[in-house]
Amino acid sequence: MSTLTMDRPGMAADAALRARVRDFYDAYYDALDDVRLEEWPDFFTAECLYRVVPRENHERGYMLCTMQAESRGMLQDRVTGLLKTQMYAPRYYRRFPGPLRVTAGTDGIRARHNLLMVQTLIDQQPNIVLCGVCHDRLVEDAERLRLAERVVVFDSEMIANSLIYPA
Amino acid sequence: MSTASSPASRDVTQQDRPAPKRWTGDGTSQVPYWVYSDEETYRRELERIWYGPHWLYCALEAEIPKVGDFKTTILGEKPVIVVRSAEDEISVVENRCAHRGVKFCQSRSGHTKDLLCPYHQWAYDLRGELIGVPFRRGVRRQGGMPADFDTAKHGLRRLRVEVVNGVVWATFSDDTPPFREYLGEKFWKHYTRVYDGRKLEVLGYNRQHIPGNWKLMMENIKDPYHAGLLHVFFVTFGLFRADQKSAVDIDETGRHGILISRKGAQEVNDVTADMRNFQGDLKLADPRILDVVNEFPGDETVGMITIFPSVILQQQVNSLTTRQIVPTGAGGFDFHWTHWCYADDTPEMKLRRTRQANLFGPAGFVSADDGEVIEMCQQGFAASPDAEALVTMGGHDIAPTDHMVTETAIRGMYRYWREVMGL
Ligand code: FES
Ligand SMILES: [Fe+2]
Repeated sequence: MSTLTMDRPGMAADAALRARVRDFYDAYYDALDDVRLEEWPDFFTAECLYRVVPRENHERGYMLCTMQAESRGMLQDRVTGLLKTQMYAPRYYRRFPGPLRVTAGTDGIRARHNLLMVQTLIDQQPNIVLCGVCHDRLVEDAERLRLAERVVVFDSEMIANSLIYPA
Repeated sequence: MSTASSPASRDVTQQDRPAPKRWTGDGTSQVPYWVYSDEETYRRELERIWYGPHWLYCALEAEIPKVGDFKTTILGEKPVIVVRSAEDEISVVENRCAHRGVKFCQSRSGHTKDLLCPYHQWAYDLRGELIGVPFRRGVRRQGGMPADFDTAKHGLRRLRVEVVNGVVWATFSDDTPPFREYLGEKFWKHYTRVYDGRKLEVLGYNRQHIPGNWKLMMENIKDPYHAGLLHVFFVTFGLFRADQKSAVDIDETGRHGILISRKGAQEVNDVTADMRNFQGDLKLADPRILDVVNEFPGDETVGMITIFPSVILQQQVNSLTTRQIVPTGAGGFDFHWTHWCYADDTPEMKLRRTRQANLFGPAGFVSADDGEVIEMCQQGFAASPDAEALVTMGGHDIAPTDHMVTETAIRGMYRYWREVMGL
């Protein structure tokens, strides 16, 4: 793996890295909000870990997640499942990421931000389908940033019926 | 009381409340839609079913291993505390202070020495007995409780409890028969196939609110007809298909049911030909979710038990959950999933179970669509209370079958429901 930008000291590098991370999330949430689901797995490394976990489970150390994937392949299967096998009422999701905190370690870039996901079903008022915090780890992977790990811990544990699209 | 001559100005009093609607047809092959939306009927269900002679699911024993451990939950609409009150005793008490009715315990779970209401600090022991009333004798000879105040008469309301192979059950009624009798011998056998006395362990929770009547969730699990059609993911990978050797069993009363099935292979055949959206060529990029091991006696891989009225005990391949129903009105219920494993499972087995949990829950490949379709049912029923649902798949009778092309278990539930509701 190439040297992380953050490993080099200095304000300029920080700003540049922050800008890259922001661009990454802009692209990530754009793809999801526009329901370009086929693009979603590509934001992750091949051996990624993806978890959407109720806060209670997270705090009590329970391993069970509402959505879990242990590889990019499983993310692809999630997309295939959504597009080809699942039945659900039509809806829109909008994702509103909050302030971004970026730090660097030897194992990659740590990024943490709040996330609000608002769901709108046809002919209904919007409601919150998920409200929580994302604990992400990004790495340089084939000239671009990718998520090696994404853990979305959500406070809104009583899900409004179903969680259809990913976070 | 006012007369009925001017309805616009009339006060709505207790006596004016309409009686629950009448079920006009006979039998249970047609279910009128008002059973899903009429609030009076729902109130009657709370009294006669949820607070009547029925065992309600509360918790897994493993959630409260040590004396003083507790969790809160809701039975019917009543909040309760499930607490280990002694080494080999679990108490279930209403989460409602005997003083002024405060729902005093607001934590989901925890550990405590006693049960304390924050409002005026009345304290109860772990069995719900009142043990402390601040200023009971007044302050400097002023005030205080009357001389005839008897703490023994002001404890928390205590429910009858049975702990059965790791599962905590409670009932509000003195008329409920012992749990094993309540299940019946046939269902005792189904129950103990998975809850066989081994120690259980919690893997985690999922919670969702489904805007549909609570009975629709019971029906959904009693209905194998939909499972072979709606759940394309399952059918595609052979986890549940209409041609696999299977059965529907019903207890004598009709209230409990089980779907039994066996896993097959991914294949295209004449049965899947009836499915418009069958995905015969679907491949998984990472098929670990289908890494299933046989762990129970016999070759059945699916046992979905509905224990009337409060819970679904799910064994779907290696995924084990209790799915508690908490009604919130005629038109909705909360669904509390507790995913569990056996305490002596290997780490691989635990991981396998959490992986397969992606099939279920609010984001499950096959359960999200159940939540969606139940909401859609409610949308269809609400505006036409007097229309009727047809429940005639497999005929009109109520009997166990050795196939899945039937709605017999739904008919069974409504036969019992009509009896107990007197409708
Ligand atoms: S209401 Fe609980 S102590 Fe007064
Ligand atoms: Fe289903």
